[in-house]
Amino acid sequence: MSERVSFTFNGIQVQCESGQSIAAAVINTGTLALRTTRFGEEPRSIFCGIGICFDCVVVVDGVANQRACLVTAQSGMKVDSRS
Amino acid sequence: MIVVIGAGPGGLAAAEAAARNGSDVALIDSAPRIGGQYWRHRTEVSGYRNYRADALFAKIKASQSITYISEASVWSIERDGKLIRVNYLQGGTESSLTAEKLIIATGAYDRSLPFPGWNQPGSMTPGAVQALYKGHGVLAGKRIVVAGTGPFLLPVATALAEAGVEIVGLYEAHSPLRWALSPVALIFNLSKFAELIYYWRLLAKHGIRPQFGRAVTSFAHGRVTISHVNSDFHVKAKQGQIVEVDAVAVGWGFLPDLTLGGIAGCRQRVASDGTTVFDVDRNQLSSQPHIWIAGEATGIGGADLSLLEGEIAGLAASGQEIPSHLRIKRYAKEIFAQALSRSYPIRDGWKSWSNEETVICRCEEVTLSNIKESVVELGAEDSRTAKLFTRAGMGLCQGRICSRNVAEIVAGLTGCTVSDEERIASSNRPIAAPISLGLLGDGKK
Amino acid sequence: MRSPDAIVIGAGIVGASSALSLTNAGLRVLIIDRGAVSSGTTGAGEGNILVSDKDPGPELTLALRSRDLWFEMQEDVGDSFELEAKGGVVVARNDDVPLLNLASEQSLHGVVTQKLDHESLHQLEPYLHPDLHSGIFYPQDAQCQPMLAAAHVIRTVVARGGAFISQAKVTRIIVENSRVSGVETSQGIFRAPIVVNATGTWAGEIATMAGSHLPIAPRKGFILVTEPTKKYVFHKVYDSDYVSNVASSDADLQTSTVVEGTRSGTILIGASRERIGFDGSMNYEILRRLAAQATSLFPILRDVQLLRAYRGFRPYAPDHLPVIGEDGKVGGLWHSAGHEGAGIGLAPGSAALITDAILGKESFMDSSPFSPRRFAKVSV
Repeated sequence: MSERVSFTFNGIQVQCESGQSIAAAVINTGTLALRTTRFGEEPRSIFCGIGICFDCVVVVDGVANQRACLVTAQSGMKVDSRS
Repeated sequence: MIVVIGAGPGGLAAAEAAARNGSDVALIDSAPRIGGQYWRHRTEVSGYRNYRADALFAKIKASQSITYISEASVWSIERDGKLIRVNYLQGGTESSLTAEKLIIATGAYDRSLPFPGWNQPGSMTPGAVQALYKGHGVLAGKRIVVAGTGPFLLPVATALAEAGVEIVGLYEAHSPLRWALSPVALIFNLSKFAELIYYWRLLAKHGIRPQFGRAVTSFAHGRVTISHVNSDFHVKAKQGQIVEVDAVAVGWGFLPDLTLGGIAGCRQRVASDGTTVFDVDRNQLSSQPHIWIAGEATGIGGADLSLLEGEIAGLAASGQEIPSHLRIKRYAKEIFAQALSRSYPIRDGWKSWSNEETVICRCEEVTLSNIKESVVELGAEDSRTAKLFTRAGMGLCQGRICSRNVAEIVAGLTGCTVSDEERIASSNRPIAAPISLGLLGDGKK
Repeated sequence: MRSPDAIVIGAGIVGASSALSLTNAGLRVLIIDRGAVSSGTTGAGEGNILVSDKDPGPELTLALRSRDLWFEMQEDVGDSFELEAKGGVVVARNDDVPLLNLASEQSLHGVVTQKLDHESLHQLEPYLHPDLHSGIFYPQDAQCQPMLAAAHVIRTVVARGGAFISQAKVTRIIVENSRVSGVETSQGIFRAPIVVNATGTWAGEIATMAGSHLPIAPRKGFILVTEPTKKYVFHKVYDSDYVSNVASSDADLQTSTVVEGTRSGTILIGASRERIGFDGSMNYEILRRLAAQATSLFPILRDVQLLRAYRGFRPYAPDHLPVIGEDGKVGGLWHSAGHEGAGIGLAPGSAALITDAILGKESFMDSSPFSPRRFAKVSV
């Protein structure tokens, strides 16, 4: 359960525990903003936390619009705010 | 076989009851562990009467007739002759389950109301802070305000406090005296007093004093404005206060996710508080043959009611008689659910918190002024037209967060009320979870 | 406005354009609709303003003029409905001879066409499947946001002295001495010597109410809408099946491939045609077919997610031509309906024909091919 996972978020390395979501791992480092909006470029973070609102969407290994609150962080993942 | 969609209290109770009575059950859920939102956990469930979860989890895990499919997102449901096919996405592929019977127990999500800054990082729902902590062991911040309305604020505030978070304030918009409107419900649910005392002790332990008649009315870069509100949710002249926080968790009750039942063609109705729910009979049977619905989707009522409805649905789907003690208990909980809605109604004054720039549709960044323009300049008279003109509700969440708010704002601007048809139509979503065009096309006959 | 000069029934794009055209000709126009603006097929439209999909003939002539009128309407009303001369790329999947022949024919009748070889095709649309090697570019094809267009056009009509009453369901067409003299609605009676039936898929009902007959029926279509994504599609892109499907009378399901991007970043995918009445239910098998067709043209779309799908009912007449002109039995009752999947593109052109005819002026083309009188009366 406390196996360490390491992935990158916007090029920066993030460490977390196995089983944590991407959102949880990033927020745990003290960074709240996960992306910026496509029209107004406003920062957004987790909002509903359970996969309903899609505010926390990030690009995971090149695939866009993945909900960071639902995707479990895996070692070697490349996560970005935008593609 | 019976497919049960949703592994929260309702779905678990349904699966257990069905399996206990000889049915084969496929329990499908989108999370990595059973428990839904209410019993979300990493290693074990904590909180009020958590032993109920342990007992039910043990039965589910021990059962030979329950197949548990986790991290699976159901994106559509189709009829296949007399059978029902549930199409789902799991691990980057598409699969399906075909069964004679279906029980839908997909639960609910926090209802949100807009205010200036509600879209900024740090502003989230109580469900989000709870999911982060209970599901991932992460605290959304060290100083958190919990606000909104409803009893859900209590378990969230106390769990965070127990985890070492400073709950800077706990603000309930309504007066607790509203419970006096529901004496019968309280008498039928005396166990709720024990629950209240449980939370009260925890609040006292951490020096948290709930304040009533207050609401979060704006948030900007870590500074929350707490205003005094009257019973209509309008801001009173009395000076509010500003506090500095890492995060603000605001929740206004719950909304059921009606998407899958809607895809399956189950008839909906509008409850007296304007919430759309599914119409079920006394055995939880929907308007569709062989499809039962249990839990929040039939009416927001909390875990106790979901457990009972789930059990009844599981028994009914297995062709069993429903024992009267279950019906009586469910009735008591239904009265309590009505009391909840009487004690924590959402009042129209929320509309006055937003200014022209406040984002109403978060996904498409549609502001209040965009919506006003669509009504005043372009003649939008309902949320559907406002949606077509502004794109509100067309984004990734497909209106789950904003559509009710948009409908009520438009109604306020046109001086009309939101019709039942409009409420029901806005939860019509043929695609329940995003599916890649590649997977979709690969599955063609 | 109880006694306007003309009543237009239908606040979709065809009704709105008709009302604007009549208003600009000096009439006081009342628009009525049983719902709100764009509550019919216009609300399900993609915004196509096409000349590419039409065989030479009256509909193409109408489409060419109408396309130019769209840009005039933008000058008149304002740049408020995302009108864009996007251009269309028709891709030949296998045998390109039928497409090339059609393009040659069309170019003799005013359509600008440009033959595309492999290199030029992929220059225009770099994400097309590399095996696709031939196509035609139609620079005149254009795009708009139809709901916004209808709303802004109606706003202009009202600003110029017209009126719009929503939630007014027509219950009776008042006919006296074989001439229309008004309509009775759920919001009262309105009198006018000219009534324009622009009710699209429901135009037959209005005709029947007037004691006449219009054989207009629904042809169901689905549209897929993806998540917002990077720009992968630069024009309207179709395969050449689109052309033959439109003119077909087959009852069975017909699908062709239509793909285009939008300003908001989503990609729209069509197109299906079914004659199953007003059955609005979802059909996932059709969605799968449309997805498979789209990804066969644009493999990159395999990784793009579908967010929603919706359906609309195109209004069509048995010969697949719109119905534009004065009713054969009831004088003063003018129809502009049955535009099938081309309603948006043909709206201002139809409005010009109707207005000229009502004023007794010669128009830009002979509108008799569209006349409602062309249908043999069916005795029931």
